[in-house]
Amino acid sequence: MPTGEAYADWEAVYRDNVDRVYRMMFAKVGNRPDAEDLTAEVFLAVLRPLRVSASVGEVRAYLQATARTVLAGHWRRTLGLEVTTLDDEHTATAVVEHAATAAPPARTRAILAALPANYRRILELRFLDSCSVAEAAVALGVSTANAKVLQHRALRRAAQVAQEVRP
Amino acid sequence: MTGRGLRRHLDDLVAGRRPRPFRATPDEADELRTAIELRAARPGADEPREGFVDGLHARLAAELGATGPAVVPPSTGAGSGPLRPVGRRRLLVQGAGLAAASAAAGVAVGHALTAPGDAADGSGTITPAAGVWQTVAATAELPEGAVQAFDLGTVAGFVHRVDGAVRAVSGSCTHQGCRLRLDTARNLDCPCHTTVFALSGALITHQLPVAPPPLPAFETREVDGAVQVYAPQA
Repeated sequence: MPTGEAYADWEAVYRDNVDRVYRMMFAKVGNRPDAEDLTAEVFLAVLRPLRVSASVGEVRAYLQATARTVLAGHWRRTLGLEVTTLDDEHTATAVVEHAATAAPPARTRAILAALPANYRRILELRFLDSCSVAEAAVALGVSTANAKVLQHRALRRAAQVAQEVRP
Repeated sequence: MTGRGLRRHLDDLVAGRRPRPFRATPDEADELRTAIELRAARPGADEPREGFVDGLHARLAAELGATGPAVVPPSTGAGSGPLRPVGRRRLLVQGAGLAAASAAAGVAVGHALTAPGDAADGSGTITPAAGVWQTVAATAELPEGAVQAFDLGTVAGFVHRVDGAVRAVSGSCTHQGCRLRLDTARNLDCPCHTTVFALSGALITHQLPVAPPPLPAFETREVDGAVQVYAPQA
């Protein structure tokens, strides 16, 4: 919808934005139960006081601001700290520009490609293929305890690489 | 070694369960973010679950029932119609959302809230008989041109910096006390009667028979990197 126009009613606001808000939330929390709750939280907070005369652009800006606040509250509750690193400025643009992608985004591929082979392998097994630690250990031919250590080191390293590959 | 809290959180994440809260160190937060990014990169992972979009639509229709004709979405399961009784879970979710959104964006709840701390006649400066200086933002959080909502329990408002000086105005409409919200044009909108105030407190537009007074201001100061307003204690 052109951003200068207005929505007909709250249902139009919802139908036009629910998919993008959900996908943005999923990108931020990586799991469905939290993504669903946070999406509901955003719309419940936004729709009630919404002016019908607000333009599409204004509504989306308002959704973005609310989504950021809702996420900040989520991380405060979940991790016990103000995790601004988990709710960076990408959130805002993500709501507007997020598009479905068929393959892991280039950024994720770049991070994985920069890792040593065993680090890359355990992250793929765990987080892309959804293996348990025990299953990943079998696939790698190491003990479960070793797989835990490997996962930790691989995540540490990947987190460092991710800082450098920021889009 | 990764802490037990993070390991368990990651196990939940991979299993598709709701990850359990834990106290994260900054390093652990970085690791978690990386894991989340990988989870979200799986093709199709961010597709909303079938039924979620219609289910939430039905919940919203129930919440907003009075504001307009709610359309019942086709083929929703039993019990998810627009008149489903309000469940405890939903109230909790809604409460958290509204509180969180109000705190940062000055979002107004659709009820008339009278703020006992505000002078009813509006305008001028609020100088409580028994007030204390209370921090509402860090100086670093309020660069030139920035606006922040605050809520001290007794009073709520918006603090902003213009020409280097910190100013704070009441966040309650001078008409019936509805909570004002910051709009994208950086004005303060009243959701009750579409009244609009500037951040200076000046009335911009209204549709009332009699123009409401401008928003009163708070006394402000900056001490040791903290922005403070003089307001009654909660």
